[in-house]
Amino acid sequence: MSGTTQTQSDLQTLALVAAEKPRGLRKLSGPSGDPGPKTSTEKTDPRRRIGRIALYAALTIFAIGLLTPFAWMVLSSLKSANEVFAVPIRWLPEAWVWQNYVDIWAKSDILTWIRNTLFLAVVVTFLQVLTGSFAAYGFARMRFRGRDALFLLYIGTIAVPWQSYMIPQFILLSNFKVSNTLWAIILLQAFGAFGVFLMKQFYETIPEELSEAARLDGLSEYAIWRKIMLPLSIPALASLTLLTFVNTWNDYLGPLIYLRNPDLWTIQLGLKSFVSNLYDTNYALLFAGLTISVIPIAIIFLLGQKYFVEGLATSGLKG
Amino acid sequence: MKRKFAAAAGFAVAVSLSLAACSGGGDASTEPSGPVTLSVSGWALDTTPEFQDLADAFTAQNPDITVEVKGYDATEYNTLLTADLAAGSGPDIITQKEVKFVPTFVEGGQLLDVSDVQLPDGISGASSYQVDGKSYAVPYRNDSWVLFYNKNLFEQAGVDQPDGTWTWKDYNDAADKLNAGLAGAGSAAKAAYLHRWQSTVQGFANAQSGGDILAGDYSYMQPFYERALSMQSSGDQVDYNTSAANKLTYQGEFGKQNAAMMPMGTWFVATLIAQQASGDADDFEWGIAPIPQNSASTTGLDKTPVTFGDPTGFGINANIDQSKVAAAKKFLAFAAGEEGAQVLAKIGITPALLSDSVVETYFAVDGAPTDDLSKFAYSTHEVLPENPTSNKAAAIQGILNDMHSAIMSGSVSPADGLKEAQARVASEVGVG
Amino acid sequence: MAITAADAPTRVVTPKPAPPRRRSRLKMRNTLIGWSFILPNFLGFGLLTLVPIVVLFYMSFTNWNIFGTANWVGLANFQRLMGDGSFRVSVLNTLYYSALHIPLTIAVSLGLALLLNNKIRGVAFFRTAAFFPYITSIVAIAVVWNLLFSPEFGPINEFLRFIGIANPPGWLTSPDWAMIAVVIVGTWRDMGYYMILFLAGLQTVPRELHEAARVDGAGIWQRFVNVTLPCLRPTMFFVTVMLTINSFKIFDLILVMTEGGPGQSTLVLSQFIYRKGFMENQFGYASAAAVALFFMCIVVTVLQFLWNKKRSI
Repeated sequence: MSGTTQTQSDLQTLALVAAEKPRGLRKLSGPSGDPGPKTSTEKTDPRRRIGRIALYAALTIFAIGLLTPFAWMVLSSLKSANEVFAVPIRWLPEAWVWQNYVDIWAKSDILTWIRNTLFLAVVVTFLQVLTGSFAAYGFARMRFRGRDALFLLYIGTIAVPWQSYMIPQFILLSNFKVSNTLWAIILLQAFGAFGVFLMKQFYETIPEELSEAARLDGLSEYAIWRKIMLPLSIPALASLTLLTFVNTWNDYLGPLIYLRNPDLWTIQLGLKSFVSNLYDTNYALLFAGLTISVIPIAIIFLLGQKYFVEGLATSGLKG
Repeated sequence: MKRKFAAAAGFAVAVSLSLAACSGGGDASTEPSGPVTLSVSGWALDTTPEFQDLADAFTAQNPDITVEVKGYDATEYNTLLTADLAAGSGPDIITQKEVKFVPTFVEGGQLLDVSDVQLPDGISGASSYQVDGKSYAVPYRNDSWVLFYNKNLFEQAGVDQPDGTWTWKDYNDAADKLNAGLAGAGSAAKAAYLHRWQSTVQGFANAQSGGDILAGDYSYMQPFYERALSMQSSGDQVDYNTSAANKLTYQGEFGKQNAAMMPMGTWFVATLIAQQASGDADDFEWGIAPIPQNSASTTGLDKTPVTFGDPTGFGINANIDQSKVAAAKKFLAFAAGEEGAQVLAKIGITPALLSDSVVETYFAVDGAPTDDLSKFAYSTHEVLPENPTSNKAAAIQGILNDMHSAIMSGSVSPADGLKEAQARVASEVGVG
Repeated sequence: MAITAADAPTRVVTPKPAPPRRRSRLKMRNTLIGWSFILPNFLGFGLLTLVPIVVLFYMSFTNWNIFGTANWVGLANFQRLMGDGSFRVSVLNTLYYSALHIPLTIAVSLGLALLLNNKIRGVAFFRTAAFFPYITSIVAIAVVWNLLFSPEFGPINEFLRFIGIANPPGWLTSPDWAMIAVVIVGTWRDMGYYMILFLAGLQTVPRELHEAARVDGAGIWQRFVNVTLPCLRPTMFFVTVMLTINSFKIFDLILVMTEGGPGQSTLVLSQFIYRKGFMENQFGYASAAAVALFFMCIVVTVLQFLWNKKRSI
């Protein structure tokens, strides 16, 4: 048990992706860019080597296929407004229009938008991860009447398209006087069923014997959640954090409906409003803004993906 | 089992329904005394200065009345406004961006009867806001469809420019000549560009062959579709699929001189002037001509060509504070009248009232075309509404839009597409 | 709130025969603890999501047009749905999309997760690249994929002609192929998203089991089938359910790729709901369609739920 009880990371740091690596876990390899220790046979066997090269070639082609639309977007952000869409499609701008970036920075409130979005994304992610993983324990490990029905209800709500109940929800929140405040978005996004479902599924992979042993040691259910389940579900917490963060960051319709005051706008809403006019949108300008807005997500992702490390969750078994 | 929506929401949220939705119109107070503040909804305020300009000009005349413009997102205007009205936080003056939503607002009791607001003679578009003989909004802006053409490209191809006598057949012939001429002159430009909207075919069919989409018979559209398809099969214009795949914009196609002619609404005049000034559009000579006609009987400078367009109007929120009603009606009369029209024409917006002096103001804008044909095309026409004011219009237009993409993409023949749409309108909307 | 050490071990998993009164007290206690875990989330969820959805259900029995009165019309909306040709088309299209998209996405994203779970140089970069489609502007995605799918000049059809297919499909311009094209783009866009979930799931597969199987002489495929897949079952259940629901709800991609066209060949259910609600202001009718979508999802989810339960016993 000692192996896991040492890993009590503070929940708060867990909620943020940039959390420290949990201490005390064995077998945790370095940053994942590091290929890790190689055996000597790996280096010398020529067949393996060719296999590796083929793998990298395939991966690189694959990555190009994945990044092409993004590349087109970045290149288009350097074009003039009427040049973006053309037949045949053009990749390189006629003249490089850096002005789009200057305009976005100088003429729009992009810093305010980024600040609002960052605030929302962090708070929503924190609440979603906290309440979601907490509730998930109730669904995964406690047995009581109506549990499965309640859980099905949770999943069921995911199945209802938001647009169809958006108006009743808007009336409700307007009556609570929270529309046109950042609270509206926090309330809207933080208590979704997604996090509960994800964490519950993950908890079910953690051997029951661990909790049993902990109960024998005198831990309460709450302590088991905090000291055993949370540290052991870091990969799941990481993916929940990443996905919640990205979804909040990129949400457009929610902020559109609720945030009417330009001081409260998020990056997606601000960008679209800034570049849209009556009958059309200046896509070159929009793409410049979107390029800027992707950067924070990419950084968060690069930081977060290293928590998908093999052996993390199971190492507790032998502890 | 009749219930107000508020009550329905109430059974679920019995907690704290303060019924903001019904708060307006509480005490019917007395005369409009002292300063009044009116809120009016607008969109994309940075690029659509019409609202603020109207507000400022009105307040200059009526210092007691302040008009505040409430900005909405342009593309999601109706959704946001609907949400606000449902929650009881709508503006005092509701700008009607699209005619097809007017019946919903009227049926839902959101608009005040404004039949007593005086409209000037010669204003167009007022009928779009009439339901059962009562007016629920006044038009202040009314764009209509004309033919934009690039004079430089016509010269380059050696083809005669439009002269106001064109039927659609003349248009097709000119396009063929242009195509050959432009290719001969080594230009990659196409003769014409037809945007993907259903209006670019159906709007003209409805207006020029007396069609009524509410009647449920659409066979009159067939020749219009056949002409449009023949132009894309002969290569006179970029075909629908290519346009859709590349998300072509009409501003780019005409502004970057990829097409010599383009049917489009008069709102594009202001955009084109602005884009030529900013460099987003190339620098070239252009003009507007009357849109080609279906029948030769309405062509020529001594006749009135038939085209279409939907007005934009101002209505009054039914839940407005009683003390503000008089001021709001005053604003409506101002915006629809000569003074409002002058304010709009000055910034390149087409007012619903096109008097001679308004047209003069409009063409005095720097960068506007100066030829007589453009003035004729702009000021002389019969503008029929694109959307009938009916609660069935939106559903029918949806079906006709599906048909439009099916026919233009070549996945169904015009005859079959029309037949299919007719059947759908009959079964889904119960018309025809 | 904390329970005492003495009580805890006698919890459900190892039920010791206890006197009936004690057992019911225990049950009560378990219920309370269970609810105390769920409550913080449920407060927000119940009030902000559940309540509006209950209102939506109520509205599906009315002729609500957002303003004014919502008159009770009983099952009229549902009867109308049954006879509505567009609704039928949109349901069939949605099922068609889901039937292709779900298995394809599971296969690709699981494969990707297995590949990128290895220790290879630059894995961080490749993982990030796989996630990029999900965060790239959907307009950019539509334009570039439209170019690739272009019937005459697109690289895809050029390749198909090169390998000897004389009449390659018209993709997005053809009613028969448009949905398949959308499925391909949908899978391409979503695989990074589900890869993340699979990557997290793969961390739960005990390495010891793999090693034991290897010692027993199991090949890669056998280890995948006998070790990885069973351990992944909770994740697989999660991914399948989410993927099903999200496929049933597909909306934005269709809107930007085809707008439901050509004709009605890619009209899907959420688009139908949106049109009826926000374009035609028939919110009562749109609510009924949303309820129908809800029940479609629920039926599939319950089936998956039961199947999953059966397998895990």
